[in-house]
Amino acid sequence: MRVRSVLVAVGVLLMGYAVVGGSADPDLKPAGVLLFLAGVLAGHDLVWMVVLLTGGAAVARCVPGRHRPVARAAAISAAALTVVAVPLVLGFGRPPDNPSVLPLPYGRNLAAVLLLVAGAALAAGLAADRRGRPAAGRGRGRSTAGRKRSERPGGGGPPPAGR
Amino acid sequence: MRAGAFPSRLRSTRLTSQLGVALGVAFAVCFLTGLLSHLIQDPPGWFWWPARPVGLYRFTQGLHVATGLATVPLLGAKLWSAYPHLFAWPPVRSVAHALERASVGVLVAAALFQVVGGVLNVSRWYAPMPFFFTAGHYWVAWLAVGALLVHIGVHLPTVRGALARPAAGPPPGRLSRRGLLGGVVAAAGLITLTTVGQTVRPLSGLAVLAPRRPDVGPQGLPVNKTADNAGVRARALDPSYRLAVVGPAGRADLDLAALHAFAQHTADLPIACVEGWSATGRWTGVRLRDLVALVGGDPDRAEVLVESLEAAGRYRASTVAPAHARDPLTLIALRLDGEPLHPDHGYPARLIAPNRPGVLQTKWVARITVREPR
Repeated sequence: MRVRSVLVAVGVLLMGYAVVGGSADPDLKPAGVLLFLAGVLAGHDLVWMVVLLTGGAAVARCVPGRHRPVARAAAISAAALTVVAVPLVLGFGRPPDNPSVLPLPYGRNLAAVLLLVAGAALAAGLAADRRGRPAAGRGRGRSTAGRKRSERPGGGGPPPAGR
Repeated sequence: MRAGAFPSRLRSTRLTSQLGVALGVAFAVCFLTGLLSHLIQDPPGWFWWPARPVGLYRFTQGLHVATGLATVPLLGAKLWSAYPHLFAWPPVRSVAHALERASVGVLVAAALFQVVGGVLNVSRWYAPMPFFFTAGHYWVAWLAVGALLVHIGVHLPTVRGALARPAAGPPPGRLSRRGLLGGVVAAAGLITLTTVGQTVRPLSGLAVLAPRRPDVGPQGLPVNKTADNAGVRARALDPSYRLAVVGPAGRADLDLAALHAFAQHTADLPIACVEGWSATGRWTGVRLRDLVALVGGDPDRAEVLVESLEAAGRYRASTVAPAHARDPLTLIALRLDGEPLHPDHGYPARLIAPNRPGVLQTKWVARITVREPR
């Protein structure tokens, strides 16, 4: 309890320091910061999450059950890569007089990386089909606690117990 | 919100805890390396930063940006796993609960602010951010870390319990928790692989999504601020250019011929940008300590103010602390790879010192003021 109280107290102090220090910093426009804080929060919770959940539901509907784990893993990579690359693809930060900033064809590069991710997912799915078994979730027990490590299937298994 | 509105059985306290621990580590790395960068750029009296190892700042700032970029899938997965809590009913059970929810709101907003703002900053897209990025990123970092400590304090027993409990296996056809964590790790790995080559030279060929390439720019080196953007091109190319060196014994006005008449030294030093890219150049020029001695300063103890031809701007001048001013690798460089500096690299003369952020490596140097040790 003592540790928790200290954590909460120090955390509140640091938040207070941020508010006081930020308000006193002549370089900072607090209204702009508040606007961006609210903007990213609303953008994430109201827009991005809706897109993500819709995408997840589409994977659940369109992809056969045994291929869903691979499809979901690929979708996570695709979504994260897209978030990082979209500002580069749009290229609004590229100044006309400085060709060393954003020098690459990012739209083409992002498409190539996403194709690679999709290709890897497809290959993993086909390999699973060829083996004639689902890629993951092969009717395991609910707990690994009673099993020796060597008996557990490799990759895709549940995390080891009792960490 | 009705039961079953969020059908994924992947979500669990255990998954949220595991993601939270990983995210906590990533935030700690970003906070410490970011704080360090802030202290180096704006050092308080008690702060001391060495000139060696030469590439230490290159490493810490490269790590800052690489970790921040790799945090994108981690933060995304963490917020996804905790999203149903947003719709908890009743929304507020007590004053303490209301405060705890408010602190989570601050944490989520601050975490998104840092990660999204960082991604926009490295792509130099400032229009969506209605504030000065550096100051906003700095103060919101304190806000994020404070809210994170409160969050850890509140949820510590839950996290400990969830991580100690045996995990349930996934139902057939569903991604296991390990599968989801593996997906997040793979996403972070892909982001790192396609961007980190902007500072790790051997991986530059893979850096297809990096905002910079270490070999792209005038004289094979990237540029942050061009001569035109700084408004100095005409004055930099003016043959009447003189470098004013001012110290305890007086003042010297040196033209390019006079600068070339000094003993010339060559150093392989990186430009290490706060934006996370870095590139090494082979610089040749006059040792700063030789110029300090020229005007009667003590080369081993002096602090030096280096000013640019720029009329204004946040980075038009930088202070070189004694540790860097006395270092034999610290040069007023006149050449890059044996050629006169390109105007965008600071022609006619620029400062280059080991283990410093790129914004402090003042270009188009017009004046050097040697200050007596305090």
